[in-house]
Amino acid sequence: MPSEWKGRDQMASKRKKQYRRLRADTGQKRRIMLCGAVFGLLAFLPLGVRLYDLMVVNYSYYARQALRNQTRTTQLSAARGVIYDRNMNILADSETVETVYLDPHELKQSGADLDEISRVLAELLELDPEWILAQGKDLSKRYKQVAAGVEKEIAGKIREYINGEKISGIHLEPNARRVYPFGSLAAQVIGFTNASGQGAEGIEAAYNSFLEGASGKVITTKGNNEMDMPFSYENFVASENGCDLVLTLDVTVQACLEKQMAAAIDRYAVQNGAFGMVMEVNTGKILAMATLGSYDPNAYLEIMDPKANAQLEQLRQKYIQLPASSAEYADGRTAYQNALQAARLKQWRNRCISDGYEPGSTFKVLTMAAALDCGAIDLDTNFYCRGAEQIPGRAQRLHCWRSTGHGGQKTPQALQNSCNLAFAHIALKIGGERFYEYVKNFGVLEKTGIDLSGESKGVFFDQALVTDTDKWGTASLTSGSFGQTFKLTPLQLVRGISAVVNGGVLMEPYIVSEAIDRSGNTVLLQEPTAVRRVIREETSKVMCSLMESVVTEGTAKNAKVAGFSVGGKTGTSEKIDVFDANGQRVLDKIVSFVGVAPMDDPQYIVLVALDTPSRTTGMYISGGVMAAPTVGAVLADILPYLEVKHNYSQEDLQSRLIPVADLSGMTGKEASGALRQQGLEAVLQGDGDTVTAQLPAAGQSLPGGSQVLVYMGLQPAEQMVRVPDLSGMTRQQASDAAGLLGLYILPKGNTEASPYVTAVAQSPVAGEQVQTGTTVTVTFTDTKTTP
Amino acid sequence: MAAGRTLYAKENRCFGKAGAGVDGLFLGILLLLLAVGLTMLYSASFAQSQYDTGYTVSTRYLQKQGACAVIGLAAMFALSRIPPGFWLKAAWPLYGVSILLLLSVLLFGQSVNGARRWINIAGLQFQPSEIAKFTMILLFARLTTGFGPDAGLFRYGVLGFGGALLGILVPLALEKHLSAIMLMGLVAVVMMFVAGTKTKWLLSGAAAAGIFVIIYISFMGYAGDRVTAWLHPEQDPGDTGYQILQSLYAIGSGGVFGRGLGKSRQKYLYLPFQYNDYIFAIICEELGLVGGLLIMGLFACLILRGYWIALRSTDRFSTVLCAGLITLIAVQTILNLGVVTNLLPSTGIALPFFSYGGTALAVNLGEMGIVLSISRNRNKTLLQEDLL
Repeated sequence: MPSEWKGRDQMASKRKKQYRRLRADTGQKRRIMLCGAVFGLLAFLPLGVRLYDLMVVNYSYYARQALRNQTRTTQLSAARGVIYDRNMNILADSETVETVYLDPHELKQSGADLDEISRVLAELLELDPEWILAQGKDLSKRYKQVAAGVEKEIAGKIREYINGEKISGIHLEPNARRVYPFGSLAAQVIGFTNASGQGAEGIEAAYNSFLEGASGKVITTKGNNEMDMPFSYENFVASENGCDLVLTLDVTVQACLEKQMAAAIDRYAVQNGAFGMVMEVNTGKILAMATLGSYDPNAYLEIMDPKANAQLEQLRQKYIQLPASSAEYADGRTAYQNALQAARLKQWRNRCISDGYEPGSTFKVLTMAAALDCGAIDLDTNFYCRGAEQIPGRAQRLHCWRSTGHGGQKTPQALQNSCNLAFAHIALKIGGERFYEYVKNFGVLEKTGIDLSGESKGVFFDQALVTDTDKWGTASLTSGSFGQTFKLTPLQLVRGISAVVNGGVLMEPYIVSEAIDRSGNTVLLQEPTAVRRVIREETSKVMCSLMESVVTEGTAKNAKVAGFSVGGKTGTSEKIDVFDANGQRVLDKIVSFVGVAPMDDPQYIVLVALDTPSRTTGMYISGGVMAAPTVGAVLADILPYLEVKHNYSQEDLQSRLIPVADLSGMTGKEASGALRQQGLEAVLQGDGDTVTAQLPAAGQSLPGGSQVLVYMGLQPAEQMVRVPDLSGMTRQQASDAAGLLGLYILPKGNTEASPYVTAVAQSPVAGEQVQTGTTVTVTFTDTKTTP
Repeated sequence: MAAGRTLYAKENRCFGKAGAGVDGLFLGILLLLLAVGLTMLYSASFAQSQYDTGYTVSTRYLQKQGACAVIGLAAMFALSRIPPGFWLKAAWPLYGVSILLLLSVLLFGQSVNGARRWINIAGLQFQPSEIAKFTMILLFARLTTGFGPDAGLFRYGVLGFGGALLGILVPLALEKHLSAIMLMGLVAVVMMFVAGTKTKWLLSGAAAAGIFVIIYISFMGYAGDRVTAWLHPEQDPGDTGYQILQSLYAIGSGGVFGRGLGKSRQKYLYLPFQYNDYIFAIICEELGLVGGLLIMGLFACLILRGYWIALRSTDRFSTVLCAGLITLIAVQTILNLGVVTNLLPSTGIALPFFSYGGTALAVNLGEMGIVLSISRNRNKTLLQEDLL
């Protein structure tokens, strides 16, 4: 082979080699095709299948999840209805406050400065910044409440902060808070709403379904961090505001009742609170209902009674000084919390409907009405009281409250004297069967059906105990006749006595007269409901006059109200089932009085009961001494307000305040005439032609019959005097003492001229500096004799 | 066909000069993808932009991406006119430069989201790893050409390529840029396969890498969480499972036809990274199964057409380079879609031409310019002359 050929061959093979190196070989192309098949086709298959699976097969699942993810449901709270009294005074209303909460997840996502946020929020809300920080870091929840019930002003500051710093993750939610403008007035009747806005007590609870309305909601799609979306889905369910309630309650009457009850608690050093109510006898409408030892529904968790609070604080102090981990600490805390809970439950309790008590002598009204109605006795039936007597069928001798006895008495005197022995005989005359039947018809065995929550009924004897006297004796029957050894609620008693005086019909008491929805439609209208006739109308008439005689001549003279005819019955009940630490029955007493007015056409019934007046006042503990004047004072306040027609006797006139007319410029004769017309007397001083001055000045009020100094051409020497202490004085003594200083006396309460009827309260109080001619209102009470 | 021949013949005469047309189908698919990509980027980033700018600007992300798209298109146009021979010569120098860039990132790089991957040159911020991806592919094509049929030998097919790969992967490992390592490893393996490295070596390499990954993951500790977050995202919807659950809610709630363009709800900050790694979820939510499949189809067409261009190339360098570049796009696309649909655990790989990211878009478009350039140069003889 020639070399050039060889060279060319070499060249050729080199070129060939080079060519092979540079040229893509077929193996390579095959492998690229394989890559194309894998990356261009095969790899997309699982992706396509996956998409189909996600978007078609599981579409509804993911669509639902996404929607849940993207939507915000905002509760539209329904405005809770307003509670009005019968004159449309607002008793309960709602105002908006806000809840502040954090969304820790959102805070984290938006990279918010948690330390700074905690600091600012802590400052605005007066909370511990460390605690807020801990809330903000808790990623397990998306709703961490930081504060509730935040006032608008502070909420506004928080909003400003959020908007100013563009923070996402802090949210505010409006909530309603209940406001009770009258505070503790009728607190147990109105009740309150709990932390979640549900009615918890009283009308708030009983009428919760009317008041609360139906909350609505807005479902909107919202971006994370609360971004608004241009294409959003929105679903709106309107909220339905709650109905307003109009009560039969009258705040003026309620306030009068509570004022007099509070005064009585003070005056008689009552240990355990008081309860009372005012009801219309013909309709069953409750005008006022009060339990003292009350609370402020605006702050229902706080104990209002200072004494109870002091005891609680003592309990708390006892345990918080112990080491926090010790068993004594835990026990002490439990004891404190239990006591706190008990104190709360006690102050929330509406004793007028929830608690039974032994009615005592007030119940005699029902017994006598039954006896007269069924003809067991008449007005001329004779009774004789020796102070104690062995009643057939009773193991023990029965004692009357007056141990010397009442002697011979007819039916009216039996009631006026509240003679237990007479009533035992009346019960025996009625007989167990009839007595039980009447008691039942008076509603003693059943709840009254008032539209309040928490009503209970008393505990009466089993039927057989009363009716089957052969087997069980007459103890229950006779004790029952004068209201002992059984219980009923104050409202049951008031309802029963209402039936006695209103013509004989038992009514269903009620307190909500109307529910009005927000468009003004009446959705509920309650009208007087008669339950049954219990006694005949004639019996009722007789009973009215008998009850009036209890006030005019009997044990309840302290309940007199000038210008109005008042009837009623006193009661002093023992606590049959309360024992002290040694297992001895306590001697605590509940004194009460049920008053009715006006007696010619009974309209209103008032009960006041004082639980455990203190022995320290030196007054005889009885309904007549303590409860009767209280009810009298309530009636004196409310009857004119309720526009009951008055009829002042000459004697009554002295108990009336008359505003003195302006006499200036009159001649002496004219002035005397004008005053006489008003029921006042003129005493002329000086010899001018016309009146230059008068004492008291025009517009000041004087008791009827008082003298007015009329100065003719002279000027009076006005001077300040110190009001004397009149307590313990009789009316004449008080009048003299006041007259010496140039003061006038307006007597209230028991106006009998008796050495036992003495002043127990006065206004202005002793020691106050007043101008001469000022009127001092003095309350007189028979503090010795009446039970 | 006749016209094609003439073109082909003409082209023989003027290698390196743009006279012959680029592949119209490939260019068409690419521009369509880019257009759809920018549209969807606007839609997906709209809410985020508003949120970031206090509800004043909705196009914040679109503006940047659009600018980069313009730069990328210009680069594509320019690169489509540069003959592959240039890249053959530039392969080694560019490789060196990109390693230097990667190392300089370690020294002077800027941190974004805790990862130091960006570098600032003359006011331009970019990721050298994006460049490194390209230069590695370029070098692999260069090596393939050099090895020729000998690529099957262990010292070339394994040690040669492996050494070149390590030069890139080591700096990336120092950057802890795991997604780039994985992506480049995969592309490298595919290119070695195409170059002719014996399958047994690749399989054993893959096995070794697998074992390494398993050991690595078990030592990292948090691997359990990641696996749980992948397989059972609903167990921790608030934290580790949040991202993927939000993505699935977006896709699933799209249904067959979607909520409509622009009407995604998940993009309102529910789905994090909605405008970059997870943009496909928003696409599915807005355009539904139909839109999702169409876009996947477009990608598949682009990939198939890309490999077709590689096949039509006659010289080894162009073929392997084109296959490598297309593989890069394909692997990114498939990994991204796999992650978004939760077929694969989260990796952090963007969707080419769609995801927000200026460097990546510009580089991707530039790389497509090279593919277009290859599509016009199919000369074997001049190639030889040129090379010799």
